[in-house]
Amino acid sequence: MSETTLDQTPQSDAREGVASSDRRKFLRKSVALAASGAAAAAAGNAYAGDVKLETVTEPLKPGATRNILGRGVVSVPYGMPSKFEKHVVRRNVSWLTADTVASISFTPWQDLNGIITPNGLHFERHHAGAVDVDPETHQLVIHGMVDKPMVFSMEDLKRMPSHTAIHFLECPANGAMEWRGVQMDSMQFTHGMMACSEWTGVKLTDLMEYVGVDPKSTWLYAEGTDGSALQRSIPMEGAKDQFGEPIPADQCDMYKDAMIAYAQNGEALRPENGYPIRFLLPGCEANMSIKWLRRIKFVDKPLVTYQETRHYIEPLPDGTIRQFSLVNETNSVINYPCPDNQMKGKGAYEIRGIAWSGRGKIAHVDVSVDGGKNWQEAELVQPVMSKCVTKFKLPFEWNGDEHLIMSRATDETGYVQPTLMQLRNVRGTNSIYHKNSIQAWKIEKTGEVKNVQIENF
Amino acid sequence: MSKLKTSKFGLGLAAGVMALGLSTAGIAADEFNGIGAKITEKAVEPWDISVFYDGTNLPEGSGTVEAGQNPYDAKCAMCHGAFGEGAEGYPKMAGDPMPAFIKSLKQGLDGVGNRGVNNAWGHAPTLFDMIKRHMPFYAPGTMGVDESYAVTCYVLNLGGIVPMDFTCSDKTLADVDMPARDYYVTDTRPDVDNERCMSDCYDYDPKVVGAVVTGVSE
Ligand code: HEC
Repeated sequence: MSETTLDQTPQSDAREGVASSDRRKFLRKSVALAASGAAAAAAGNAYAGDVKLETVTEPLKPGATRNILGRGVVSVPYGMPSKFEKHVVRRNVSWLTADTVASISFTPWQDLNGIITPNGLHFERHHAGAVDVDPETHQLVIHGMVDKPMVFSMEDLKRMPSHTAIHFLECPANGAMEWRGVQMDSMQFTHGMMACSEWTGVKLTDLMEYVGVDPKSTWLYAEGTDGSALQRSIPMEGAKDQFGEPIPADQCDMYKDAMIAYAQNGEALRPENGYPIRFLLPGCEANMSIKWLRRIKFVDKPLVTYQETRHYIEPLPDGTIRQFSLVNETNSVINYPCPDNQMKGKGAYEIRGIAWSGRGKIAHVDVSVDGGKNWQEAELVQPVMSKCVTKFKLPFEWNGDEHLIMSRATDETGYVQPTLMQLRNVRGTNSIYHKNSIQAWKIEKTGEVKNVQIENF
Repeated sequence: MSKLKTSKFGLGLAAGVMALGLSTAGIAADEFNGIGAKITEKAVEPWDISVFYDGTNLPEGSGTVEAGQNPYDAKCAMCHGAFGEGAEGYPKMAGDPMPAFIKSLKQGLDGVGNRGVNNAWGHAPTLFDMIKRHMPFYAPGTMGVDESYAVTCYVLNLGGIVPMDFTCSDKTLADVDMPARDYYVTDTRPDVDNERCMSDCYDYDPKVVGAVVTGVSE
């Protein structure tokens, strides 16, 4: 990276209000430039490796654990994290909801280093609280437009051919507190309504064959056995909304990946995540992945439930209210550094982050350290899987300057993660849901890392 | 694979059939042999409570606005306000009416805390379904059919949607004119069609804004 690029630190007297059409022209122009061989900036490698290292001269001490006996096996029958990791917990934001029973908690991605979310850290979203459902008596009913309406016990489900896949679940409100401006000073709260797990269960399409779903059925709905008896309508091929308008075709395909999940990262689901079974609809807003699942009905129109008409809707600036916006579009965020992981002196760092798309696999993640002017492709850490968190990394040498760092994911459909201003131009600030825009963090000269937004990008 | 005959994929959706054939390779219909039990629709009935937007599956029964007042005051008002204005952070029953609500959105005012039955519910049967299954919050699903109709009617009246002398029932609810109904439009995303610019993506100074207030993450 050239010295001049590093010098492109943010200025407060910036030009204001660049319209989106202008920006599009810019983007097109710059692609052409890049193709013609113009300077491609690198995010790292400018630093000459000249940070002076300290020298330790004091002889090493034996250490507190060296001369004692530790705990025996099964002293903690279900193992817990180290006592030094007590800060790695789910958190909630008290002012978001009136009550913790109909509320949400957030996954601490700033402290996670893989693509899998430990079960105890999976974000929670309940509408009437987490319940303890007895697997001995729990039943799943599948009925409606089917040849054979059927009821299954947990034992029945476990006898069936199993299906295992790693998928993320994301509440469409992830990032919602940031629509109008910067509010949260932790990435747990800007991106923590998402978690990623290995799920095992029975594939919905297998069950559909078994009960013989009528080909004329264009919707199904799933319902839970908690106090809210939460229910969501799920489109299939040919699905139309309540006005007869078609549901976008890619969203009518999502059910093919769905399963009735009983295992999460190898163990039984946690009660907060739907024990003993939940519906799992990869790629779609997690509200549709009904927990404590008790019933699936095949029908030929949507219910248009409370969730579908009052909650998961987006009032747009043109006066319309967007409904059935089901897929979670491509998103990404840098979790190291981030407001929770600040710089600790000049020199080498690895920029790391996570990317995910409800439409398939992540194809590229690009990283910028100059506020989005220049980008460098990051390395995707294997495995890269569909509708699954993908980790990315890129070496970075910090020489103590200010930087605006950000990541931008592109998925296998070619969809490129947008900027917040682009989303605001279309959706205004009352949209709440599906905020998948590029997240900027500002590295201060002090090494502090702050949550920021760039108002003209 | 005779089982494909009854599947959605059997309908000449070649790609679907292929995908299914591959993903279920080795799973014969026999692998489900003897699993589970058939169930009659009659036996499912107690669970089959979902009401469609158009009123399909509304249970037989009725309740007036007047009959809704007492149960509303006793079971709902502490959280939703005596006039539906909301209490202690719980949601309102009625917000700004249409089209004033839309106007306030256009002015960039907060639309979330302002939602209610008169501006963000498309269909009255949904309201009945929600109240019957999910409310009162502390004892969900404990109200009878007629009581649920009455309370629904009372809430609709708080929203200025039905008159004082209205009776809500399986016959009338589907025809209640919900002010927000015609504002709904199904998803038209993606909203943005970007190219993957790699260098010199813009040439002005970024205007950076940070948090206006801090310490709200608690
Ligand atoms: C203890 C507080 C409490 C009481 C009492 C209560 N509710 Fe609720 N109500 C809630 C909560 C919390 C929600 C949000 C539920 C969710 O997020 O799924 C809600 C949501 C609603 C909604 C949807 C409002 C919206 O815009 O999201 C309606 C309608 C409603 N309640 C009606 C009633 C009725 C009718 C009663 C009395 C029979 C009642 N509630 C009693 C707490 C309460």
